[in-house]
Amino acid sequence: MKQISIRQCGVIIVMCIFANKILLMPSLMYERTSADSIFVMLLLFLLDFVMLPIFIKLKSIYPDKKFYDILKERLGTFVTKVIYLLLLAFFFFKCLLVFSITYVYFKQQIYQDEFIFLALIAFLPVINCAVFNGIRAFSRTIEMFFWIVITGFVVCLAISLFTPISVPLFFMSSAKDFLYSMHNHIFAFGDFIFLFLVMDRIDFKKGSIKRLYGYALGGIFLVTLLFYLFYAKYQMTAFMHNNALADLLVFSVQFNAIGRLDIIAMLTIMFITLFQMEIFSFAFCDCFVNIFPLNKTFAVVVFDILFCLLYYVFIGRYETMVMSSLFWLPYLAIFINYILPILMLVLIFIKTRRDKLEKED
Amino acid sequence: MIVFIIILIFFTPFSIYSPGENRNRGVVTAIGIDRLQDEYEVSLLTFIPTANQSYQEKTSVISGKGESVADAIYNAQIAMGRKIGLSHAKTTVVNESLLEEDVASTVDYLSRVASLPENTVFVCTNKSAKQMLEQSHDLVDDLGLKLEQIIGYNANNIYITDTSLEAFYKGYYSYVKSSIIGYLTIEDDGNETEEISEISGAQKTNEGQSEGTQGSANTSSQGGGKQNEHIVNQGQAVLLKSGRKVALLDIDQLNGINLLNPKSVNQIITIDGVEKDGQTFTMQYKIKTKKTLTTTKFENGYPIYMAQLILGVELVEINGEHDALRVNTEFSEITPEIEEKIEQKIKEQFTTSLKILRDCNSDVIGVGRKFFKDNRREFVKFMDTIGGQSQAEKFINYVTFKLNIVVQPD
Repeated sequence: MKQISIRQCGVIIVMCIFANKILLMPSLMYERTSADSIFVMLLLFLLDFVMLPIFIKLKSIYPDKKFYDILKERLGTFVTKVIYLLLLAFFFFKCLLVFSITYVYFKQQIYQDEFIFLALIAFLPVINCAVFNGIRAFSRTIEMFFWIVITGFVVCLAISLFTPISVPLFFMSSAKDFLYSMHNHIFAFGDFIFLFLVMDRIDFKKGSIKRLYGYALGGIFLVTLLFYLFYAKYQMTAFMHNNALADLLVFSVQFNAIGRLDIIAMLTIMFITLFQMEIFSFAFCDCFVNIFPLNKTFAVVVFDILFCLLYYVFIGRYETMVMSSLFWLPYLAIFINYILPILMLVLIFIKTRRDKLEKED
Repeated sequence: MIVFIIILIFFTPFSIYSPGENRNRGVVTAIGIDRLQDEYEVSLLTFIPTANQSYQEKTSVISGKGESVADAIYNAQIAMGRKIGLSHAKTTVVNESLLEEDVASTVDYLSRVASLPENTVFVCTNKSAKQMLEQSHDLVDDLGLKLEQIIGYNANNIYITDTSLEAFYKGYYSYVKSSIIGYLTIEDDGNETEEISEISGAQKTNEGQSEGTQGSANTSSQGGGKQNEHIVNQGQAVLLKSGRKVALLDIDQLNGINLLNPKSVNQIITIDGVEKDGQTFTMQYKIKTKKTLTTTKFENGYPIYMAQLILGVELVEINGEHDALRVNTEFSEITPEIEEKIEQKIKEQFTTSLKILRDCNSDVIGVGRKFFKDNRREFVKFMDTIGGQSQAEKFINYVTFKLNIVVQPD
């Protein structure tokens, strides 16, 4: 089995953390909870973060076992397949959402007209190639581009400091709005669940746990900083800016003559989106081959057909997709983000107890 | 490798046979919107990329009319024979009459067209926006000066705030629903002239204004026999409330509004009737540095805004009997009399500006925001006594300002 290093695992986590949070989400959240959205986001991250020790514990108990086999052993084939079907849907819609948001961003910034055909041709072959070559190949690609992406991200944040910013007003929203916002945006989270799917392919070494936490905290810190600077810069008009990372680069009147430096954001977003789609489509295909007695080629073909069909015909359209992510996909996310980790926790508890009893006997 | 070849097969024909974007698009660098009787006229200052042997951009003003701004832009696009690209539009000009109604509805199309940059300068003019663009076109041709540069200067030195479309919306959606946008006038001097370009020197509009920053960039209309119209920048700005014009602010009033802003310096203060050795002089001081210390509190339930200003001033001009001046170098020292007069002048300026803001319920200086940040509990309590949060825009009317001004030579 080809394994990925802890560093590669870390960069995958960071890409997952960026997914669906750096463009549209700050603006969507602001509508209900204004600058308090930062706290909503931090709380959702905190709940997500609990998943990491659960994963580490599970990995230490079953170092070489596939997640599918662990579930099958404890819950039976049917329940495992149902869980995997839900995971498949979760990653597929995440992929679709990432693509929808980025597509609209590029349409606004560069193309002005529809270019869906071009976008699909540009993205799908690369994604398919990544899935075929396996996690090791695309995680190495991400690792190679990681610092370029992070530099682009940090430059976008840093340039925003050259424009007037002021501390946003906090504690303006009610508890009801706070909880409502948490529920609405839950689908954009659940970033560590991918690790469970590839747990048998991660090469855990001594002292590597700290690095994993480091990457996760680093990613969370960057997203938090993005939210803060975005709200500090735009305040009342934050709801009008749908591309947070790119909009941070827009200059004030004083810098008007410089021109379009938002090319930095465009490149950064392009790479991040590509990597996120690779991760999510890989997760989709992994779930697919476990559910159905078919191979990876079938999985990739099904992914492409479903992707094009759903995007073009119905749900993938930007507005529908965004609305779905706010209203019905959160229910799916609640299961994946919270119920599944609790289930894992129970399994860990049972396994530990059994081992203990066996030892005592 | 296979993927690479597939991509190559798909994209190569596209790349070879697709025409260049410059053949399909006109790059709009400024937009002007006018309201005619029952329709809008949108004028686009357009740069059409064509091969030439000079470094000069060839621009022209193309306009279209329609029931809505979107309709008018569509018609302008037809007139141009190209799609319009708004990504480089750096200035949006509206005619003053559009500010009689909520201007946000007029510029709604522009804010929805995401490709328009948020830093687009938002300007109002007394005559038609189309004329302004035509004049700016000449301004660029003759002087290499662009509208956004003029407004950029004002934003930095006079308004001390951004006057972009984004800044307009920030104010529009804030609780005070107020914003400031730039104001440029088009004036004609009544002469029919040949084509001449000039930058006129300082003009004095009324007593006490700061002439140092005021000027006008003039350029004639092209072709002999036309009226000599030119864009005049008097440093004025329009105060908008809920998207409607509520006041036209001159430099003095803008200086008053920015009194508490430490970035607002270089203001010229004229002091009349300074007596020295039996002679009377008019002295002009320039504020070179400004330090502000502000604090807010509630006294007996009423809001008090306290500010200490330390102004570093420099004597820049003396008008009087110059024979005496030559020997009296001690003029540069600031006597208590001068200090008192400067202080009085600044306070008058601030009072006048504050009256405008109070009359218009337009707290553009963010007094309410500061109270909310620093004394939130008392602020909320106070708001309840005056009718709740819906009355927040009137908060500035209840605030007592206590200013302590220290004038010292820089």
